[in-house]
Amino acid sequence: MQINIIQAVLLGLCACLSSMPGLGGTTFGNYTLGRPLVAGLVVGLILGDMKTGIIVGAAIQVIYIALVTPGGTVSADVRAISYIGIPLAICAIKGMGLDPASDAARDMAAALGAAVGTLGTVLFYGTATVNLVWQHMGWKAVEKGDFRKLYLVDMGLPWISHLLCSFIPTVIITMAGSSMVDLMKTYLPMDGIAMKTLFTVGSLLPAVGVAILLKQVVNKAADFLTFFFGFTLAACMGVNLIGAAVIGGFFAVINYKIQMLKVRPALAGTAAYDDDEEDI
Amino acid sequence: MKKLSKKTLNKSFLSWFYGNLTCFSQEHMQTFGYLCSMLPVVEELYDTQDEKKDAIQTYTAFFNTEPQIGTIVVGMTAGLEEAKANGEPIDGETINGIRAGLMGPLAGIGDSLIVGTLIPILLGIGLGLSGNGSPLGAIFYIIVWNALMFFGMKFAYFKGYEMGGKAVEMLVGEQAQALRDSIIMIGTMVIGAVAASWISVTTAFNIPGVIDLQSTFDSVYPKLLSAGTVIFCWWLMTKRKISPTMVMLILVVIAFAGVLLGFFDPGLSY
Repeated sequence: MQINIIQAVLLGLCACLSSMPGLGGTTFGNYTLGRPLVAGLVVGLILGDMKTGIIVGAAIQVIYIALVTPGGTVSADVRAISYIGIPLAICAIKGMGLDPASDAARDMAAALGAAVGTLGTVLFYGTATVNLVWQHMGWKAVEKGDFRKLYLVDMGLPWISHLLCSFIPTVIITMAGSSMVDLMKTYLPMDGIAMKTLFTVGSLLPAVGVAILLKQVVNKAADFLTFFFGFTLAACMGVNLIGAAVIGGFFAVINYKIQMLKVRPALAGTAAYDDDEEDI
Repeated sequence: MKKLSKKTLNKSFLSWFYGNLTCFSQEHMQTFGYLCSMLPVVEELYDTQDEKKDAIQTYTAFFNTEPQIGTIVVGMTAGLEEAKANGEPIDGETINGIRAGLMGPLAGIGDSLIVGTLIPILLGIGLGLSGNGSPLGAIFYIIVWNALMFFGMKFAYFKGYEMGGKAVEMLVGEQAQALRDSIIMIGTMVIGAVAASWISVTTAFNIPGVIDLQSTFDSVYPKLLSAGTVIFCWWLMTKRKISPTMVMLILVVIAFAGVLLGFFDPGLSY
């Protein structure tokens, strides 16, 4: 499967919008277009295979379900995961003739997405470094009292950083990468150790994403019980994710009421329901 | 008596909503986003160029927090700037003290509540809806997330502007803490379900007639190996303080060794 220049340009544009200091803004750029689940839909539409795109995006999403970037340190770059990793994974899956709905296709996508995402951090630091130039211009504008220029510095000039660090790399890598699949097929047989390892790594990687999230919420062994409650619901009882969210919501309400009893025992019995304005 | 117009406040909010991180650098993370969002406020409140220059100088100080929950701080400073322009005893230093004091705590709350809980819950539901390749989950996430954030941030901005410091108490008080704990509980459960539905670690280790390891595991607890892998990764990161990237590399080594020993085998061919 080949990615043509128009498709590559569209992917490059999405990469500019979606990265962590991205030009789509934090909410719509980074946290919407940059999420692999959403990117799966977008890339799928660009490449003309929505279904495979979404399956690949969803598989990679599990690894990056809680991509927190405290203080601007990143361990993976969303634009690389979403707009380089997903297109390459789609090409690889199609080129190898895997069934997109199979576990193997998901493992492939996960391994490829994580590798590209980790290498992609260089794009993040690149963009942030080029932005220093515009910020320098910004300080001069503030000194001179030329305030209008601040908008140009904050929202206009970073396009140049993204042209260099998001657009061009995405276009080149997606176009070149799509022809790499045939080479892989020639030199790396599926029953060889390299490919077996690749697929196995892919099956193990989603555990890292979940563990990153658990690191934040599990402090003692007992906290694992909440996690395993949800795990057991799905693994043993076949509850789907929406069902699990509803059950979780029910226990959260109980937990909230118990906590509020501790906070103000005297009031809880009579007036626990009169402060709805915060329950947004 | 100077009063900021609704139009100016909206402009300031939209500037922040869009531009809080567009010109990010490691040195001045959200500083320029902040400057842009305070610009309409300063231009409306002060008449002479010198006054404007003075006022904007306050916001050249470093700023970085979780930008979505941090909207409340931007709203607060708009209110403070208005009070300052009306001659109340507030100066740039006071404003910066408040900004600097709120950055850290709000980043902590925002990272754990929004990025670490709300997004995983929404994505978890989205994954459930999109598992078979349907666009429904992605569309669900796009709509719900953006609506929640746009209106939530707008609400936070105007609450911050109207209530000042009291608005922050809404986020850090005991009741807010109880609410936060409960929401995190939903998140943890959904993540458990995500793990069980989406992680599939299986072993190929099998001596015919003696032991079929996978079916033995299955009879103990379904997805036992998947759960074990999660706990192992958590242990590496929390107890051994290993970075996620290193954990991924360790998994590569484990996968390689496992394949050599015949413990793992995807069993595929072209």
